Amino acid sequence: MSNMTLEQKHRLKRKIKTAMLTIVIFGIAIFYFSPILYMFLSAFKTEHQAVMPMLFFQPTLETIKLVLSDRNMFGYLKNSLFQVFFTTLVCLLLAIPASFALVFGKFRKKTTGESAYLWFITTILLPPVAVIIPLYTWYQKFNLIKSPLGLLIAYIGFHVPIVVWMLHSFFKDVPVSIIEASELDGCSRFRQLVSIALPLVRTGVISAGLLVAIFVWNEFFLAFNLTGNDTATLSVYMARFREQQGMFVAQLSASSMVAVLPAVILGWITQKSLVKGLTLGSVKG
Amino acid sequence: MKKQKDWLFLLPAILVVAVMTQIPFILTIIYSTLKWNLSRPDLGITFNGLKNYLYYLKIDDFQNIPEFYSIFWQTIVLTVSTLIICSVVGFLFSILLDHAVPGINIARTLIMGPFFVMSTASGVIWKTTILNTTFGWYGVIFKSLGLKPIDLLSYRPLAVIILLFSWQWIPFFVLIILAGLQGIPQDVEDSVKVDGANWFRKTFEIKLPMISEHMMVAVMLGLIFIVKEIGLILVTTAGGPGTRSYNLPYAVYMEIFNGSQVGRAGALATMTVIITLISVNILYRIIRKRKAMYE
Repeated sequence: MSNMTLEQKHRLKRKIKTAMLTIVIFGIAIFYFSPILYMFLSAFKTEHQAVMPMLFFQPTLETIKLVLSDRNMFGYLKNSLFQVFFTTLVCLLLAIPASFALVFGKFRKKTTGESAYLWFITTILLPPVAVIIPLYTWYQKFNLIKSPLGLLIAYIGFHVPIVVWMLHSFFKDVPVSIIEASELDGCSRFRQLVSIALPLVRTGVISAGLLVAIFVWNEFFLAFNLTGNDTATLSVYMARFREQQGMFVAQLSASSMVAVLPAVILGWITQKSLVKGLTLGSVKG
Repeated sequence: MKKQKDWLFLLPAILVVAVMTQIPFILTIIYSTLKWNLSRPDLGITFNGLKNYLYYLKIDDFQNIPEFYSIFWQTIVLTVSTLIICSVVGFLFSILLDHAVPGINIARTLIMGPFFVMSTASGVIWKTTILNTTFGWYGVIFKSLGLKPIDLLSYRPLAVIILLFSWQWIPFFVLIILAGLQGIPQDVEDSVKVDGANWFRKTFEIKLPMISEHMMVAVMLGLIFIVKEIGLILVTTAGGPGTRSYNLPYAVYMEIFNGSQVGRAGALATMTVIITLISVNILYRIIRKRKAMYE
């Protein structure tokens, strides 16, 4: 020790500091994640093993197989996928041209774009309880709860403003000069959007789409109130486990895993573009 | 020519949003003035003036204050505590995760996890595998320490919900604050190092003001989303015991689906929306003021 140079001592000290920091960070991260981790673990238990909390056991695929072979579960999974896919698709189809026009469109009144944008923003603030009573009574009356389209249009209405809000700031980053130049060349608005602006805001489109997909996959309030047995999504299905006081933990865990994993994986893969979309949309706009 | 066509790009989106959000909201306001009981169609629908609002708001005597006020208070407690916890813990987590230690992306990913989990699933998971006094980790660990675990869901329902809300939303705060921290230019870090500022000063007096805008955005978006959350309440405490862990949206839900009182539910929903919009507005003004101060 004594014949260490000052330089070496310094380096060692820094290494120890980094090691300690790593341990602290990972300790906190794993502890924070542990409820989900334990759920994933319990999915590989039998009902008998899952009754009391434990970390070491003989893993089995039995429960997962049981859950996946359940026809009901399959139906909810299908419904969730349907809602996610079509909500995201339609939201993008509606919101891309809208936010493009909000930024570059010319209206009779100059303030139209600005005020329409503000209107979209305020609808994000509207909580679903504000609309649930009329929607619920209509849906009962016209039997829309029996059709997946009922929930779908509600989802589209609620998520278009979010996409508009995110894309608006991405379109604002597109230099006006490019659009103006193409206008002089006789480019139609549609061509401007599709072949000039859209490639430039690709990141925005992707992150807005992903955010909507995750929101819809996890959405509960509207799904709970506007669906029937055949049209319910996974988040509604998960709520049915609320009455089981400590029973069927393995089944609960396996079902949760199926319900949670897609959104978590999607979220993890897309963290970077999500951050970009959210901060650009909010800090700048 | 082109001038007339631009609104066509806008129209479909506006139509869909208006039909699904604005028109139902206007109807809700209209319903709020009606006496309308879904389970008694024989009574018909009659105009009720402001009586539905008075039902919640009128204080006849102070021994018997309407439940609305306690639910309103609970909503504030739930939302404000969650937002404070999320800001503080979110900031500290972000400071930690801003270090370039080996495997930091894995740690960030783990912290991010709870945000992507649907609230009903995280609710039932916490309820059965952790908070249960007999079969959950909480019960088992407390008993092995010789303590008697109390049923938190019935004795501390609000605290449990605040804990779960925070667990879910801290990652979102980290997501935004961390982006802010990483946007701090390297030369600022360097000059702080030269100045020899200690960790505390560096973190709270230099970095915190620099990311205040990100923090505000996180609080604002958090408020918008947290204030309307009901799934977690439904699966954990079901609002109970009694109405001790109701928030306003949950009260609206209960009023219409258990009470069948469309008019009253409409009044409650309208008040909920007004309160939400007012609080978002206040917060927005504070942010603007602070922003003006810094510029």
